[in-house]
Amino acid sequence: MNSNFWLTNAGLETGFQFDNGIVTGTKTEFFHLLIKNGKIEQIISADEILTDDLPKKDAKHLLVLPSFVEKHCHLDKTLLGDRWRAVTPVKNIFGRFETEKTVLPTLETSTQERAEKLLDIYLKSGVTHVRTHVDLYPEVGLKNLEEVQKALQTFEGKLSYEIVAFPQHGLLLSNAKELVREAVRQGANFVGGVDPATVDGDIEASLQEMVELAVDGNVGIDLHLHDADHLGIFTMKRLAKLTKEAGLQGKVAISHAFGLGDISEVQAEAMAEILEDAGITIITSVPLGRKFPPVGLLHRKGVSVAVGCDNIFDVWSPFGNGDVLERGGGV
Amino acid sequence: MLDNAFWLTNARLETGYHYENGIVTGTKTEPFHLRIEKGKIIELVKADRPIETNLPKREAHNYLLLPSFRDMHIHIDKTYYGGPWKAPSIPTKGLLTRLEEEEDLLPRLLPGAEERAKKLLDLVLSSGSTHIRTHCNVDPFIGLKNLEAVLSAVETYKDKVSVEIVAFPQHGLLRSKSVTYVREALRMGASLVGGVDPATVDDNIEKSLHMVMELAVEANANVDLHIHDPGHLGIFTFKRLAALTEEAGWQGRVTISHALAFADISTKEASEVAEILSHQGISITSSVPIGRTIPIPLLQSKGVSISLGDDSITDHWSPFGKGDSLEKAGTLAERFGLSDERSLGQTLGYITGGVTPLNKEGKSIWPNVGDNANLVLVDASCSAEAVARRAERKAVIFNGKVVYGALT
Repeated sequence: MNSNFWLTNAGLETGFQFDNGIVTGTKTEFFHLLIKNGKIEQIISADEILTDDLPKKDAKHLLVLPSFVEKHCHLDKTLLGDRWRAVTPVKNIFGRFETEKTVLPTLETSTQERAEKLLDIYLKSGVTHVRTHVDLYPEVGLKNLEEVQKALQTFEGKLSYEIVAFPQHGLLLSNAKELVREAVRQGANFVGGVDPATVDGDIEASLQEMVELAVDGNVGIDLHLHDADHLGIFTMKRLAKLTKEAGLQGKVAISHAFGLGDISEVQAEAMAEILEDAGITIITSVPLGRKFPPVGLLHRKGVSVAVGCDNIFDVWSPFGNGDVLERGGGV
Repeated sequence: MLDNAFWLTNARLETGYHYENGIVTGTKTEPFHLRIEKGKIIELVKADRPIETNLPKREAHNYLLLPSFRDMHIHIDKTYYGGPWKAPSIPTKGLLTRLEEEEDLLPRLLPGAEERAKKLLDLVLSSGSTHIRTHCNVDPFIGLKNLEAVLSAVETYKDKVSVEIVAFPQHGLLRSKSVTYVREALRMGASLVGGVDPATVDDNIEKSLHMVMELAVEANANVDLHIHDPGHLGIFTFKRLAALTEEAGWQGRVTISHALAFADISTKEASEVAEILSHQGISITSSVPIGRTIPIPLLQSKGVSISLGDDSITDHWSPFGKGDSLEKAGTLAERFGLSDERSLGQTLGYITGGVTPLNKEGKSIWPNVGDNANLVLVDASCSAEAVARRAERKAVIFNGKVVYGALT
């Protein structure tokens, strides 16, 4: 295959430098990497001379890292590529739903074009895997899903992806059950959701329906949970319980999970044990304006934690640059 | 000098807000030509009017013109920037670890200090800042040698960026017996008296603050103190500083850097203390730390003048820092949820010494004929977009000279 090549003179980390038992630096050495059929087949010291006829691409002593994962974004929401607009003040999340519903159809660019713009930025910032939520509500139907899928198809071979069928206006509130079911049939890999308490008004019914959809479609779950302190914690506990009952361990994520940032360390540790036991991943966007889950504590307790940029210049937020490395720096 | 005179053509300026149902929904802009001469804006005309002139023209390509930025708290004398990567050590003894490190580190960094200071000036310049306030260590370990290095770098860059230097007794004005160093630094070209945590570093709030004010009055210099002390210890220190400011008649000449204690107290108390500071014209400079941010919009609403600074740009204190004031303004907006058009645009004032193209009512208040030509061209449609999106800097002009980027 012509995609086989040697990546030459690539810097790789080989160990720590210690000074009196304390890590004071990182050792790196240079290597040639044989890339074959999409895999690293061989790693040899850059001192060795390559004698085969495979093409060589020179990494020029730059550091090589595993590429990055963007675990929470909204490819269908971004305004990138369209004209500048700041956020219009609204009273609550429901006001934001209305704004989004009315603004997006009036844009001059298509959802696909804007999604491609954002994917381009992700690629440039080192991301090769994207998990995107796609809004599903009665007015938009499956259109966002279709447009985002088209955008992702144009990036086929450049990055991999997962799609969350996201009933942004409430699974129960906007009566989106059948839309979510259909989206999963059409290729979405996760059932999404948002604030079973404050958006749907019924934690138990909302979570039950979400889990049922996931089980029916044989897919995972990724729930937006902004609900604060003990309201959020209670919701997490119920979801953990339902996850285990449904045998969905390892397939469920909670995005934002702000409640974890609002409680004491002792309480957070107890909650972390429950999350770990249910195999639930926590995804944070490392927000600047709000307390967020204690990433270090969760990690220590064995909870899987991932990072995503979330909103990138959309009607929810004018900020965000698609640089997951910068988000990591924020942590 | 006439050879510095030119027309900056087709520069986009903000002219007002768009309103919808009484809410600001966008910013109006129009292209202008600006005649720049002797470091000042001499004439402003709408771009649809032809200009007849023999002066050279420099095309702004419809990029947005903003007042250039200020980084009001940085340490250019002890940076790793421009040198090899080095993470800070784990400070097992807190601040003391850092101070002990400096005893060996600063002399070791000294041979490259001037070069690194210059590289850092290049960095802040490329981000659109044409004025910075740098703190510079003066202490028994490095003496006045860092100051010499900084003065030399500043002299080389004097046509590109204006720099104020704070004589900074990092190891404690009293604790490290640095009074004579500060005094000498002020003679050599530092223009402000610095200091750090009169309580936890100097162990004597009253004596430390008195000494600071004495040095300031003696040299007719302004004051800029690092105060990290938390809670009511910090608040008490602010109040004493305010009282001494009043006694010395130093209103408008004192800055508190960091002022972290404001992050620890109630809104009500913060408002009261802010009024005390405002009354004495004491300003605050913040680096908008992510973990512990002081209530900047609240303090400003109480009349306290707030500036932003980058503080450490990769040094033995912190591996972070980008030297980009617009990034700081964006972080501030993000931190305080300032995401509507007007709030975003007004955030620019924190990095321009209070200058914004539009006032809160949407009246165009900058630029005016006679203003210094300290300008930055950015790839954005308005200030709000520039702040939210951290717009790309296309060119920077200082005293009427292009100091970064190319304008043809």
